Amino acid sequence: MSYLLTQLANGVSIGLVLGLVAGGFVIVFTSTGVLNFAHGSVVLTGAYLVAALQPDIGFWLAALVATAAAALLGVLVNAVLVRNLAEHNPATAAILMLGVDTVLLTEMTRRIGNRILPLGAPWGADVVSVGGVTVPTARVVAAGVAVVLFAALWFLFTRTGFGVAMRAAAADGDTASMMGIRLSRTGAAGWALAGGLAAVAGIFLTSFPTQGVAPSIGLTAFAAIPAWVLGGFDSLPGAVAGGLIVGVATALTVGYEDDLQVLGRGLGEVVPYAVMILVLLVRPNGLFGRQAANRV
Amino acid sequence: MSDPLLDVAGLAVSYGGTVQALRGVSLQVQAGTVVAVLGSNGAGKSTLLRAVSRSLGAIGGRVTAGTVRYDGADLAHTDTSAAVRAGLVQVPEGRRIFADLTVEENLRAGGHTVRDAAARRRAHDDVLDLFPILRERRHQRGGLLSGGQQQMLAIGRALMTSPRLLLLDEPSLGLAPQLVDQIGEIIKQINVTGTAVLLIEQNAAMGLRVADTAYVLETGRITASGAAADLAATDEVRNRYLGVSEPGEQPASCAPAPAPRATVTLTTQTGAAQTGAAPIGAGPAEAQPRSEHRLTVAELTVRFGGVTALRDVSFTVEPGTVHALIGPNGAGKSTCINVLGGAYRATSGTVHYGQRELTGLRSHQVADLGVARTFQNISLSLEVSAEDNLLVGRHRLMRAGTLAGALRLPRARREESEHREVVRGIADLLGIGHLLPRPVHTLPYGDRKRVELGRALAAEPSLLLLDEPVAGMTHGESSDMAAAIASVQRRLGLSILLVEHDMPFVMGLAERITVLDFGRRIAEGTPQEVQRDPEVVRAYLGAAEAAA
Repeated sequence: MSYLLTQLANGVSIGLVLGLVAGGFVIVFTSTGVLNFAHGSVVLTGAYLVAALQPDIGFWLAALVATAAAALLGVLVNAVLVRNLAEHNPATAAILMLGVDTVLLTEMTRRIGNRILPLGAPWGADVVSVGGVTVPTARVVAAGVAVVLFAALWFLFTRTGFGVAMRAAAADGDTASMMGIRLSRTGAAGWALAGGLAAVAGIFLTSFPTQGVAPSIGLTAFAAIPAWVLGGFDSLPGAVAGGLIVGVATALTVGYEDDLQVLGRGLGEVVPYAVMILVLLVRPNGLFGRQAANRV
Repeated sequence: MSDPLLDVAGLAVSYGGTVQALRGVSLQVQAGTVVAVLGSNGAGKSTLLRAVSRSLGAIGGRVTAGTVRYDGADLAHTDTSAAVRAGLVQVPEGRRIFADLTVEENLRAGGHTVRDAAARRRAHDDVLDLFPILRERRHQRGGLLSGGQQQMLAIGRALMTSPRLLLLDEPSLGLAPQLVDQIGEIIKQINVTGTAVLLIEQNAAMGLRVADTAYVLETGRITASGAAADLAATDEVRNRYLGVSEPGEQPASCAPAPAPRATVTLTTQTGAAQTGAAPIGAGPAEAQPRSEHRLTVAELTVRFGGVTALRDVSFTVEPGTVHALIGPNGAGKSTCINVLGGAYRATSGTVHYGQRELTGLRSHQVADLGVARTFQNISLSLEVSAEDNLLVGRHRLMRAGTLAGALRLPRARREESEHREVVRGIADLLGIGHLLPRPVHTLPYGDRKRVELGRALAAEPSLLLLDEPVAGMTHGESSDMAAAIASVQRRLGLSILLVEHDMPFVMGLAERITVLDFGRRIAEGTPQEVQRDPEVVRAYLGAAEAAA
């Protein structure tokens, strides 16, 4: 029983972190209509910057710089590449993003090589035990930070003028610009938010109890894509729910892998996609996706 | 006279460098006045507004000559956002509220450019005072509002910036007569506070009633201008835009037997559909009803979640007649059409077409019974030509299979050219023959409506369901449309069920009218009976119509 609860707690923590990554996909998609397949590499870049800067300037400053740099990276990709696309076609932009992903990933692989850059244990290597459930403190901190960030996003999008303007621009850019909302600013803000969230997620995906930063982290972050899709392409609550579902499903599969040997090893990597397909069979627009308004 | 607030001089706009939408348009708006621009579909009215609000780029247009001066400054290098900040705000065509945002959030987005919190609060309170219904529903999603309320929200959203010049694009589009009057009053109230209004309005009677000055725009040029009252008295405006509807006198175009605009004889081997109908044009002008089937709607009830859209509605459409459904926005008219066409499911009650039960059939099965329809929010393939859209309507009559078509076998080619000929005849009948090669997205709203009607006719139906066929058309265009529909109906002996707010159109065309309000049938009868029914006047027509 406590084994099950421990797996669940780990799954929830990882799931919330994946939710941060999935939330970045959602925000970029709603604010500029781009399927940002370079997002995984931004997660990797953020984590790499922390690992590289940490020895000189300390973890906290490094985390701050990395978050700002990832946000800036997003803004630049949007300003230099996306906004200058001759044709605003989602497919063109998506392929462009695959190109950006390749460039970023290649550069990171060149810098990191075969090493695994340690990020250490910024929140200590202790564990917390409650009622027989034992989880690393770092996992609790990760969950807490993610929840705080989601609350901040909720506040931004429902309680501030700029956040409401971002949602208006996402819903109907042409009309929003007639209200004086500058789409260039809401778009830039969306990319910056997504980049920042990616860096924070990158830190939690690579620090204790994980070994450190390796290029494969970009792929781990790709598990956020099924989370994004099953939550609904354009819904932040959907991204959180999708992250949680994928996180818990993966943790349980890995935790009980010995009992599931009939299905072969490495099942944990397949499970997010299997869950996504199951959800989409029942709800084609995802859990929280906008029902295509079918008023004829 | 002081300098005008808005001074448009020699304005020319083109799309993609080829289509010239405006040429040499000059127009002035004095501070604190209301100016109306009248014009048919495709005259360039929306283009003009977008040129003023600096939002042409979003739809691919470009100013090629002339100037737009606002408050003395040339707007050539001003973007939309800067124009809004200077007090020049547009309410877009078709309302375009943010459906997923609450009423409150919609208003907040509208006031985005106002930095001064106190000013924003003041504007917010003013808007809610102007539209008390919005105060009541402030925490609901915009998408849940009715059409009229959405229009109020769209106007209120623009007023959040306390503009000096408000641009309104067709505020009465798709609204019931009573609501149109209300929108007219609202425009006057907005103007009383000193806001100038530049208004595009297909309902010329309303536009000229609220405006001080008016311009007539035809195919990209200003053809007439002057004081609204003077223009309203000219023959041209009376005939084309107002319709001479003196009490007791029917508009000329709505006489029972209008002359067909085009004489066409259509013959086709494929025309004999399952319903056993005569081919188009084969019969005499006074055709027998194409089908003996009666459309019988009995105690129809439709619920969506907790909302009852239709409650125990019954009526019958006799073969070969035109039957109209009218009623306020949200009365359930479109729901009814959607159930008949197979798009929605009935909760209870039955619909029979002849002996066949329609409830429970899917859209394509309903179509196979010879029932064709048009949609309120036009449903065409935008990228392909008008001709190909019409050909889609012939789908159920095409004999050659996919394989024969793909291999371009002689039989398939011959069949296709026959179908194209029929489609051309229908297009000529509706006055859109010259538009056939054009992609639909380049056509203005009114022409798209005609293409959609053509597609429905191309299926050679015996029953035609029309959802707001003349919404967004000027009086002249709606008269032409009425003539075309009446002519087609008489030649082919069609049964037609139509939903429409344009009362001269309905009263001239329909033989029987069913009136719905809040999902219930409140009246039924001939146009004369319905027009006199006090219940109908109260719920729908309003004082202005009752007096006419």
